[in-house]
Amino acid sequence: MQTETKPVTQKAGKPWLSKGIRDHLVAYSFIAPNFIGFALFTLVPMIFAVILAFVKWDGSNPMNFVGIDNFIRLVKDTTFHKALWNTVVYTVGVVPLTMACALGLAILLNQKLFGRNFMRTAFFFPYVASLVAVAAVWNFIFSPTMGPLNNLLHLLTGIPIEDLPRWAADKDWAMFTVVLFTVWKNMGYYMVIYLAGLQGVNPELYEAAELDGAGGWKRFVNVTIPQLAPTTFFVLMILVINSFKVYDIFINLFAGADNQLNDSTRVLVYQIYNTAFRSLDYGYANAMAIVLFLIVMGITIIQFRGEKRYGQ
Amino acid sequence: MRFKKTWGMGLTVMLAAGMLAGCGSNNNGGTPAPAETPATSTNTANAPTEKGNDPVTLKWALWDWEATAYYEPLIKAYTEANPHVTIEYVDLGSTDYMTMLSTQLSGGADLDVLTIKDIPGYANLVKQNHLEPLNGYIGDSGIDKAAYGGTVEQIQVNDEVYALPFRSDFWLIYYNKDLFDKAGVPYPTNDMTFDQYEEIARSVTSGSGAEKVYGAHHHTWRSAVQLFGILDGQHSVVDGNYDFLKPTYERALKMQDDGIIMDYATLKTSSTHYSGVFYNNSVATLNMGSWFIATQIEKVKSGESAAVNWGIVKYPHPDGVEPGTTLGTITSLAVNQKSAKKEAALDFLKFVTGDEGAAVIASTGTIPAIKNAEVLDSIASIDGFPTDENSKEALNTFKTYLEMPIHEKSADIEVILNENHDNIMTKNTSIDQGLADMNKRVELVLSN
Repeated sequence: MQTETKPVTQKAGKPWLSKGIRDHLVAYSFIAPNFIGFALFTLVPMIFAVILAFVKWDGSNPMNFVGIDNFIRLVKDTTFHKALWNTVVYTVGVVPLTMACALGLAILLNQKLFGRNFMRTAFFFPYVASLVAVAAVWNFIFSPTMGPLNNLLHLLTGIPIEDLPRWAADKDWAMFTVVLFTVWKNMGYYMVIYLAGLQGVNPELYEAAELDGAGGWKRFVNVTIPQLAPTTFFVLMILVINSFKVYDIFINLFAGADNQLNDSTRVLVYQIYNTAFRSLDYGYANAMAIVLFLIVMGITIIQFRGEKRYGQ
Repeated sequence: MRFKKTWGMGLTVMLAAGMLAGCGSNNNGGTPAPAETPATSTNTANAPTEKGNDPVTLKWALWDWEATAYYEPLIKAYTEANPHVTIEYVDLGSTDYMTMLSTQLSGGADLDVLTIKDIPGYANLVKQNHLEPLNGYIGDSGIDKAAYGGTVEQIQVNDEVYALPFRSDFWLIYYNKDLFDKAGVPYPTNDMTFDQYEEIARSVTSGSGAEKVYGAHHHTWRSAVQLFGILDGQHSVVDGNYDFLKPTYERALKMQDDGIIMDYATLKTSSTHYSGVFYNNSVATLNMGSWFIATQIEKVKSGESAAVNWGIVKYPHPDGVEPGTTLGTITSLAVNQKSAKKEAALDFLKFVTGDEGAAVIASTGTIPAIKNAEVLDSIASIDGFPTDENSKEALNTFKTYLEMPIHEKSADIEVILNENHDNIMTKNTSIDQGLADMNKRVELVLSN
């Protein structure tokens, strides 16, 4: 590289720009296409969103600056609290369960098993399948009176159908149903990530542990888990972020034809959508979005710290 | 290397330029946009009836193109008389249609004629200044507001009107004669109080499991349950106090608990459409808007509806209120204030909402906003319309209350009412708590 730059030198002998700056410019020029796209479609809207959180605006008429009024409203807004609470409950339900299922499946399907590839595909399939379609199938299976699940339970236990859980249609069971659905739908994806992690573990470590007399469980705790730590942190982070951003799953399972969620199923992103596009209160909706952003960012920072401390 | 570097720079510039250009052409919004022809200038809006022969293409925002019988005949009738006009439709879908429309317009979509689906959405569009005020045009072109039976006045905002109704639907009770015959229960009549309606629904309910027949069917819309409460004319849903709805909800929940109507939450999670349960003989009566007449006639003909022996009667009413008192919904047309072809758009609006449009709409079994004896006769004489006298008489209304009256805050109120309706019907809250929440939050909206 160093010898190559010579011919660029101007006739006068002195370079037009110093070599360092030229190198930087070249580097930037390669980054530029991506960065311009990022700036235009992500950075500018993000800055705009932050500004919007401090105004009252209906999308057409002039904006009114209202200071932190929108955030004060949030503190008192019980509907928002309900949405936030539901989102937290959903996250707490989904994240550990998905991780446990995905890891379990990955370990199982990392063995030399008959039909291993078929099983891997089978568990990965729900992730690929269209959400709208599988949600419709789930709602059919879980249908309180006509669904096969409750009819099967009725046959097995003898409990009258009216007394069985009404699943998605029941305010007390709705959250459980959606957690179950999400775990089933997404565990295949995280299983693949874990599988990749498992295949990256040095087999010599297991050999050494075995020589030291470690049994299956001890090997799992002392070799597999620490070796998978980076993978686990990655999975954890993506899962938490995705759980906080959930919207489509709730809409497809619960919202019905008029796109309406109630107190037991309302989540943050739905509340933001409702406030912005149905009530035309863009400022207030953006204040909610900022809160969501801060929560996700906070959790991510904590996880990064954790990874640095315990990951190695 | 020097060559490579220059080449790299060039490529970069090209990519960046391509990106900017791509961004530029994105501004047309989500609609497929053919080359625009700004044929008519907005400044000539005062030249009346001068139908210039420059070709004009109007874009009409609507929903459910496939499922709606009158769009195509309307366009056909208009373009035959005005061959220089081409009308393209933009189907924004039925779910959240008004939200979509408002978002499209805020993004500067080049729509000209706008169908207005509901009052809250209309109030929002007026607030956002998306709609062309029509008072001037109505005066200039001699449109008779009285022909609309008071509906124009119902959508007036501060003495200005921004849309003209072309459909005026009202709620009825549909019933399945075969199921009544089988149960040995006399048919519903055109004069039913709420108590009589509930009694009839209870007596016609029978069976269990797959054979179960429900006496009534309340769809998951708020209107289908909550608005029984406003028919006494004493209250409206924008007043800010909702205690008067208590008996209405008590009745609905009791009917739900007793298995007279299907369970709300189940209907919702299974996205069950009200038409399906009527078609397959699962429900003996159905309270629904008059828009269902045309669909039911058509589906009986196509064999999709097994409820071939059916009839309609007037909506049930509270004690001491005249029969024929019911709920109403207006569907109207408006013109985009930023349209470049306002003159042509207004002319199309005048056609659809006027007498000629009304005749076309009535011929498809749909009730137009201009509703006189002649129009009602033509609907009742459509092949497939129930032949009994009661069904024909049911088309005459005494008084219609809008499902949502016009109010500056009606969109916000609607959200709160819908949420609490859902909470009450799914038993997420008790009736008292739900109504208290409505009172509290609507109060807040009204005082803001």
